Amino acid sequence: MTVIGDILRLLTTADLWQAALAASVLLLLPALGGVISERSGVVNIAMEGMMLTGAFFGVVADLAWQNVWLATLVAIVAGGAMALIHAVVSIRFRADQIVSGIAINIFAAGMTVFLVRRIYGVQDIGHVGPSELLPNLSIPVLDQIPFVGQVFFQQNVVVYIALFLLVLVQVVLFRTRLGLRIRAVGEHPHAADTAGINVYWIRYGAVITSGLLSGLAGAFLAIGISNTFVPNMTDGRGYIALAAMIFGKWTPLGAFLACLIFGLGEAIYANNSTIHVSQYLLSMLPYILVLVVLTGVIGRSNPPAADGIPYVPGAE
Amino acid sequence: MPRIPEPLRRLTRGLAVPVGSVLFAFVVGGLIVAGTGGDPVVAYQGLVCGGLGILCSGGENSALQISNTIIFVTPLLMAGVAVALPFRAGLFNIGAEGQYLAGAVACTAIGVKFSTLPAPILLPMVLLGGMAAGAFWAGIAGVLKATTGAHEVVTTIMLNYVAQWLVRYLIIGGPLQLQGGFSVSSPIGPGAQLATILPNDNHRILFGLPSSVYRIHVGLFIALAAVAVFAFLLWRTPLGYEIRAVGQSQRAARYAGVSVRRTIIVTMLIAGAFAGLAGAVQIAGVDHNLTDIYFSDTTGFDAIAVALLGLGSGVGIVLASILFGALHAGGSVMQADAGISSSLVLVLQALILFSIGANFLSAIKVRLPAIGRSPSTPPAAIAAAATATEATGAPPEKDTS
Repeated sequence: MTVIGDILRLLTTADLWQAALAASVLLLLPALGGVISERSGVVNIAMEGMMLTGAFFGVVADLAWQNVWLATLVAIVAGGAMALIHAVVSIRFRADQIVSGIAINIFAAGMTVFLVRRIYGVQDIGHVGPSELLPNLSIPVLDQIPFVGQVFFQQNVVVYIALFLLVLVQVVLFRTRLGLRIRAVGEHPHAADTAGINVYWIRYGAVITSGLLSGLAGAFLAIGISNTFVPNMTDGRGYIALAAMIFGKWTPLGAFLACLIFGLGEAIYANNSTIHVSQYLLSMLPYILVLVVLTGVIGRSNPPAADGIPYVPGAE
Repeated sequence: MPRIPEPLRRLTRGLAVPVGSVLFAFVVGGLIVAGTGGDPVVAYQGLVCGGLGILCSGGENSALQISNTIIFVTPLLMAGVAVALPFRAGLFNIGAEGQYLAGAVACTAIGVKFSTLPAPILLPMVLLGGMAAGAFWAGIAGVLKATTGAHEVVTTIMLNYVAQWLVRYLIIGGPLQLQGGFSVSSPIGPGAQLATILPNDNHRILFGLPSSVYRIHVGLFIALAAVAVFAFLLWRTPLGYEIRAVGQSQRAARYAGVSVRRTIIVTMLIAGAFAGLAGAVQIAGVDHNLTDIYFSDTTGFDAIAVALLGLGSGVGIVLASILFGALHAGGSVMQADAGISSSLVLVLQALILFSIGANFLSAIKVRLPAIGRSPSTPPAAIAAAATATEATGAPPEKDTS
């Protein structure tokens, strides 16, 4: 029973929740992107590639200009550019969105390594200095609140941004006219078109937004948590984000809850001293959880009705 | 103008999209190389040398390069079938990677555990074991699809990652790890190994090198047989008819008395068996143990490109496998001779996928007759239609039969 006792003890420490929140935010950003894209009717399994691209260009820009904010902006734009490819191919050319998503992920994996060699030759890509990393930021006064202060107000700057974006996306999707339009386009594009909504623009916007968010996550990973670029450094996180999106039933708050569960698992494993399970076995858990959810034991999880169907005006 | 015979015209039509996509990828890839200060001609010369053994500038041995390509082609043939067959049923199996790894794991586990058994017993055991493991892995996705409507794309992605982490667990501190080794399993017994086609002899010189360096093995014939079985199954058996019927229209298939649920599950089981066989053959024929190269393996993802580019036909799968096998084998020569990262191969592969998926050619009004109406519907369209009809996540309606 020492294992359970140890976990229970961990759960009462602020350190654990602080680490769990940071870990879950890394998944939350691409998951939010996935929610927005799929709510508009475009299947997006390419968060992995967009995140990887963001991570790479973030490091390149940071090393070149020694400015973390500029580098983060570059990472966001790079993620958005990859999303633009996905958008053009799957909206304009009406390609199969899964094929396009796979292609994006392969393209990102190949292109980043190809460019590492073109730019830096065979030598090491180099490390970003500690002063040029995304900083941790303590909110004055609030960070002194016992427990809560450490968990919520002594975090990396990206954590605050992500939590703000979480609320923003939730409100926009379900409380504003724009959100209604996005959801209408994803559920019934023909009806939305008839009502005067430009299906294409909504979808382009949603897909590109997913890339911007994934790019930011890439920056957080490469020049926040880490300080360099390693080939394939996202290591499936974009897919865990996809899992979180499904787990959360295509809602921002649901996805966040899923990310928090995954992040908590990661943090417990990293901080405990009594669990001697292989980290590799533990890494399977998010994926297995989603498979369990999909068996319908814990209620159905259905995508938007028009998710994955290219829109052809008048072809119903 | 002379009249082109109808079969020839159909062939040209069928080839236009895949050949155009490959050309598109090479042109854009060349631009990327040139745009980053490289010489595309030198780069592609390295690719061709490494892939086909011709135009070599670095003194490479042609026979060795060709045999390296065949080593890559062999698993691609079987994994390609594992993606192409479900395409015909309107299912997108992007889990060939996980099924391939499951097959490799099963082959290794059996081959190590019963390493003393003689080949006539052990070899069938490891190959059938690999097929069973792959079938099981794919079967999970098939059963979920048939019973709860869970989209096979999502479930197979998840299963891919479970398999990838499973491989790492098994050989890093797990039960398959070699005593005293790291990231490597014990070798399978000699009875579990597939014979090489050329004599495994260090002293016999063949094509300028000792014949033992050519690692091509009889798995190639197994792979070609697998493609033949796929084509026969699809076009000459009742099951193949049912698979195609379900792929065309689930509702129509149901009215024709086909059990849609059963067909989905059976299709996935067979597909998984093919991918699992690929993994087992790779262990039994080439590697002889599970190593860290399986952590970054991409065979199952390459198979998606193979199935799409090969338009889901047996001949197409063979041609596309040769292309991607040659690209992979050529990548390392390109990197050595031209100094261009072998990752360019992934970029080319992605570009081919974009082009095939988006059908850029028809979109830019190169007058191509609509292939969708010809007897063999291209799998990309089938997959698109499948996603379209299945996206709601509703399970297939209950069979009346």
